Amino acid sequence: MKIGKYEFPEDRYYDRDHNWALVQADGLVVQGLSDFAQDIAGEILYTEPPRQGRDLEQGKPFMSMESGKWVGRIKAVVSGKVEASNAELEENSALINKDPYGNGWLVKIRPSNLEAELANLMKPTSPEFAEFMKAEMAKYGK
Amino acid sequence: MNLYDLGKVPWLHSQLLYHALPRAGGSGVILLSPATPYVCIGYHQDAAQEVDLDFCREHGIPVFRREVGGGAVYLDGNQLFYQIVLPPDHPAAQGDKESIYRRLLAPVVRTYQAIGIPAEYKPINDIIAGGRKISGNGAAEIAGCTVLVGNLILDFNHEMMARVLRVPDEKFRDKVFKTLKDNLTTIRQELGRVPPVDELKAVLVREFEAVLGPLEPAALPAEVYRVADDLAPRMTSDEWLLGGGRPGRERDVKIQAGVHVSQCAYKARGGLIRALMVVRDERIAELELSGDFFIYPAERLGELERALIGARVSEVESVLAEFYQTRAVESPGVGPADFAEALRVPA
Repeated sequence: MKIGKYEFPEDRYYDRDHNWALVQADGLVVQGLSDFAQDIAGEILYTEPPRQGRDLEQGKPFMSMESGKWVGRIKAVVSGKVEASNAELEENSALINKDPYGNGWLVKIRPSNLEAELANLMKPTSPEFAEFMKAEMAKYGK
Repeated sequence: MNLYDLGKVPWLHSQLLYHALPRAGGSGVILLSPATPYVCIGYHQDAAQEVDLDFCREHGIPVFRREVGGGAVYLDGNQLFYQIVLPPDHPAAQGDKESIYRRLLAPVVRTYQAIGIPAEYKPINDIIAGGRKISGNGAAEIAGCTVLVGNLILDFNHEMMARVLRVPDEKFRDKVFKTLKDNLTTIRQELGRVPPVDELKAVLVREFEAVLGPLEPAALPAEVYRVADDLAPRMTSDEWLLGGGRPGRERDVKIQAGVHVSQCAYKARGGLIRALMVVRDERIAELELSGDFFIYPAERLGELERALIGARVSEVESVLAEFYQTRAVESPGVGPADFAEALRVPA
């Protein structure tokens, strides 16, 4: 679905830091940045993906990205262990800009408390998400 | 907010204190200059690739990797650093990156203007005067705070800046030096003199207050120094210094927004192609092609360089294709696609 000019696939969950979470059939959670996040970030030059096996805590920073000489922190969308990082981003971080919901994915997480933590996330079709995005777009002048 | 005017400080403190202030739960504006020179690289940079570490070691020039973005810089006491640490809910920390840069750099622009330098903001994070960079800036999110660091450049040692960088050869170094001279200016260069630092600080503080609200002069809390001491072992370790980057086949030095000196090498079937170029605002401004490939007649190489100079980076492939289609040129094992690959500008 679209909110403003931004696409938000309905098959995933979103947090208030503009990350998405896609729960795969194998139980892993794929995390990425939303279309809105990549737009406000601008051209992403570098990312520093985490090592496999790292423990993540929902809402806590675990990796960095750089755009416009600005180093930002990316927070974990759910708690768990890093099962895989997107190695292609090390060479081509602009994939996040070009394909935020596909080839620009960040990490795959083996979740440790999925059911409880999904309750902290939003579906794009929810009124809560629509209201949140409206406020965010106003805040960022988008 | 507090104003921490620290004067000249040991070089390491000129970096550690703004990393420590947000970690200690503080915020404010720090003004300082390093007592001795050093080299500082960006968070995502590879020190071994960017800096001539042997030269720096031999000459006692420390190298530091900051948590802030951007490239390698030579820093010394002829620069006045401002380090702004804003809590996440501060009104000046709201909005996207460009609006925060624009908001926080406006006081710096106005400071230059107040002393008679026609400075202007150049998105996303540069300040220029007469088209030349006169302030370097970078930012980061540290311990949840927005941190922006930058400098007023009173004077600059262009030669040393070009010397401390790791470059493929002296020709590249010379290109970096000349491009720096052409594209980076200073207060001394613009005014023919350097106003007293206290005078600059007074204007800068007044202008920051217009954006951030009143700034109360204060002593930096002991807790911030304690956190800086705790950070020092990790942030001065080789593991930290060398842990930030990624290897690449290109060498690229950013001089200011939109101006790069690049050297790329590409091994084509017919030989190695080297391209040394200056890219300005997405166009090839200068170009030298070399390598061990063959091209007949020989003058075609110079003609090819001239055809490419002025071309937009995005048009390189079509310029090359047209060149090969319209001129009698033979370059066994090296085609237009190989030149295009050698001219690929690093992201």
